[in-house]
Amino acid sequence: MAEVVLRNLTKRWGDFVGVDNQSLEIRDREFLVLLGPSGCGKTTTMRMIAGLEEPTGGEIWIGDRQVNDDLPKDRDVAMVFQNYGLYPHMTVYDNIAYPLKVRGTPRSEIRHRVEAAATKVELAQFLDRKPRALSGGQRQRVALARAIVRTPKVFLMDEPLSNLDAKLRVTMRAELKHLSRELMITTIYVTHDQIEAMTLADRVAVMKSGIIQQLGTPDEIYNNPANLFVAGFIGSPPMNLITGSIRDGMFVTSGGIRLVPVDSADRQEVVLGVRPDDVRVSEEGQGDIDVRIYAFENTGEATLLTVQWGHQRVIARGDRHLRKDQDDCVSISLMADHLHLFDPQSGVRIAS
Amino acid sequence: MRDATLKYLLVLPAVLVVLATAIWPLIESLRLSFTVGRLNRPGSLDQYLGFENFAWAFLYEPAFWNSVTVTAIYTVLTVALTTILALGLALLLAPGGRFRSGVQALLILPFAMSPALIGVSFRFMFNPEFGLFDAFFGVMIPPLADVSWLADPVLAFAVCVMADVWGWIPFLTLVLIGGLASIPQDTIEAAQVDGASGWRVFRDVTLPQLAPVLGVVVILKSIFSLKTFDQIFMLTNGGPGTATQTLSHYIYFNGMKYGQIGYAASVAWLMVIPMIFLTYAYARFVFRRP
Amino acid sequence: MTGRRKRQLANGVQVLLILIAIFVMLVPIIWIFMAAFKNHIDVFQLKLFFKPTLKNFPAVFESPYSLGHKLMNSTLVALVTVLLAIPIATMAAYSFSRFRLTGETTMLVTILATQFVPAVVIILPFFVMFRDLGLLDTRVGLILVNLSIVMPFAIWMIKGFIDGIPLDTEEAAMVDGSSRLQVIRNIVLPMAAPGLLTAGIFCFIIAWNEFLFALILTNKNAVTLPIGLALFKAEEGDLWNLLSAAGIIIMVPMFVLALIIRRYFVQGMTMGAVR
Ligand SMILES: Nc1ncnc2c1ncn2[C@@H]1O[C@H](COP(=O)(O)OP(=O)(O)OP(=O)(O)O)[C@@H](O)[C@H]1O
Ligand SMILES: [Mg+2]
Repeated sequence: MAEVVLRNLTKRWGDFVGVDNQSLEIRDREFLVLLGPSGCGKTTTMRMIAGLEEPTGGEIWIGDRQVNDDLPKDRDVAMVFQNYGLYPHMTVYDNIAYPLKVRGTPRSEIRHRVEAAATKVELAQFLDRKPRALSGGQRQRVALARAIVRTPKVFLMDEPLSNLDAKLRVTMRAELKHLSRELMITTIYVTHDQIEAMTLADRVAVMKSGIIQQLGTPDEIYNNPANLFVAGFIGSPPMNLITGSIRDGMFVTSGGIRLVPVDSADRQEVVLGVRPDDVRVSEEGQGDIDVRIYAFENTGEATLLTVQWGHQRVIARGDRHLRKDQDDCVSISLMADHLHLFDPQSGVRIAS
Repeated sequence: MRDATLKYLLVLPAVLVVLATAIWPLIESLRLSFTVGRLNRPGSLDQYLGFENFAWAFLYEPAFWNSVTVTAIYTVLTVALTTILALGLALLLAPGGRFRSGVQALLILPFAMSPALIGVSFRFMFNPEFGLFDAFFGVMIPPLADVSWLADPVLAFAVCVMADVWGWIPFLTLVLIGGLASIPQDTIEAAQVDGASGWRVFRDVTLPQLAPVLGVVVILKSIFSLKTFDQIFMLTNGGPGTATQTLSHYIYFNGMKYGQIGYAASVAWLMVIPMIFLTYAYARFVFRRP
Repeated sequence: MTGRRKRQLANGVQVLLILIAIFVMLVPIIWIFMAAFKNHIDVFQLKLFFKPTLKNFPAVFESPYSLGHKLMNSTLVALVTVLLAIPIATMAAYSFSRFRLTGETTMLVTILATQFVPAVVIILPFFVMFRDLGLLDTRVGLILVNLSIVMPFAIWMIKGFIDGIPLDTEEAAMVDGSSRLQVIRNIVLPMAAPGLLTAGIFCFIIAWNEFLFALILTNKNAVTLPIGLALFKAEEGDLWNLLSAAGIIIMVPMFVLALIIRRYFVQGMTMGAVR
């Protein structure tokens, strides 16, 4: 049980900055997700916490100990690797037992704890197999069991689900969530999958180019994105972003259409963000603005309408029973209390 | 032309060459080993005397047994020393980086050197008057200050072993670096995070995964050690006396210098037998891969 | 001691060990290089500093050593060996790589195994045969026996390279209307060219350094460089300055060749047994 604190953590390779002056406090027993696009420095951050990568600058604290100079083995962390890092020459049992073995745990206790861990991840009947003879999902669970067989101060997980097929990923996600509630150990979880982040996290840190863009609960991140990057990164389909200006309390598109009233002072340039869910679709003439359908997609559980006026395209989520076709006309209205305003230059959210 | 015909036509020349240059002499050697086989006596190459050559080697030739012993000790020592030192060097160089990669490039040089030249250069290095290694060992280990390396049976043997190890370390090191590079890095990192010390990571994770490559290396080196001729010929020519006379050298001497080609062939075939086992083991490594 | 200090110290020790290894590896080579530029007095002393001379190099080409003739022999023998071996090996390697043949494994294992047959075993019957055919001390004879050590290497190495060429390209060409032989000529050979060059250089080095065959089969006309080393003896012992100059002539070209194919060197030696 411990909190993890990063202070001004930096990693550079020559001129290239992998992680830039990052400060982050992860609370005791918290499940923190590092979320960001590929190459943004998530793995690097995690590897520095594990001691596999040496920081160029800054401090790492685990509990009340600064661990910068500790070897990985002395940091008391457990890690699930993206490709699992299973020992190919050892059986499942020996793989799970290894962290205990190197710490000189008595044999009988090892047996007891390995079996407990294996049962928890439903691997009990595979203990004698080699990793080669397991499916992807089973391998993933061996990696998980190897991490939970001990009670480390911190769990580190680097995209543990990314090598699984879509269906298994959903199942394992739920299992992970269940397990993490049960174990209550500080966990840092890296992913670029926003659904994983939203569903698993207590708090999410959204990263871009080595810098944390926003740190908050999934709700905060989703409902109050701190800047354009976060707004565009979270949510699928992504948030619609419309450029324009604010005049007399109305948002006016760059094409000159007075679209929707907003609760903000006048501005020359502004970006309006609205999620597809917050765009209401109605029959022609019944909404704020009439538009032509550019593409109509039926996903089964909902419909997605890409609509267009002028050069502006907006995605709206419609009712799952809605049936329209390309080039049909509909009317949309934006829900005024779910709008986001951003400064186009800095990308920062404009407080309303 | 149909592929079905073409595919055999394509291998035909190669098969013929291998048959003519390797298989035929192997069989012909076997035939010779049962003959009187004196170079200077016409007709003796077709004069059969059963297993007499083999019996002679086993029963009446202390020199044969001497060369068997020399070869055996030589093989065990060179294989063990080369493998261990090469493994150490490979571990030192495997992390990469500009400096270490540069050193890896340098390793090719000794390996491209002809073994005969290696023999010559070690004779030079251990010259009692102006040999650099001779002087070096003389300073480091005072009892060795005034010895004449190549005149002493044990020391001459030691020099042969050193020359062999020197010549083969680079190649084995490069192979092992390749082997180390193919071990997934995350298994090693997983072990570090799991709490293993550097030594335990090596013992529990690196070494077992390196085992197949290490096996190949040991087999290959054993084969080459058993055959050793060139260096020995240039370095000590089997001497002093027969202290460094390997089997190949013994065969060469009997066959070429004494003209007893039948007898030489029989000893040569005795040498083929361990080779067959080693080759079999090696082929298993090669073909086991998918 | 902190972890960082410990790591720095460990790295320092490693660098030191590597430097020692380089030193041990290079000293005999450097020593030969130095000796080749020493005069016949300096070479008989343990001298690090001396007045360099170039006289040794012309000297080895003069009689009685006439290294030029041996250089010629070595070059011709190695070159012709390679020029014979590579095309034959390439044809076989392509077939082994792309087709299933009856007895394929047997053939491949046998070819692999012949490489490990001790040279003394092979040379005895050849000596007898060449004596009867009058091929002793000829370059032709030497080339023939050299094929026995070079062929297995070449076949396995080139097979490895061809295995690495994706099949799609070939199949695309065949769908586009090429015959099998056209495919080999227009697709496979160009793509395998670096591999063929590597195999060629590799075999050249082996043939160039070959010792035992030349020792037994030649005595005057066809003597190669490594055998030539034995000539530098006088009444008073080895002529180390000349020996070293000859050594440089033998090894420097091979160094250059080896560095050219550095990337494939290990792969070639183990013929794919190690990835
Ligand atoms: N050893 C290294 N040398 C130089 N650059 C590196 C090194 N390791 C990582 N990088 C760079 O640092 C950046 C961050 O890498 P990191 O592995 O942390 O990305 P990531 O966020 O985990 O991405 P992904 O989602 O693709 O795993 C990348 O641009 C990468 O190219
Ligand atoms: Mg990553």
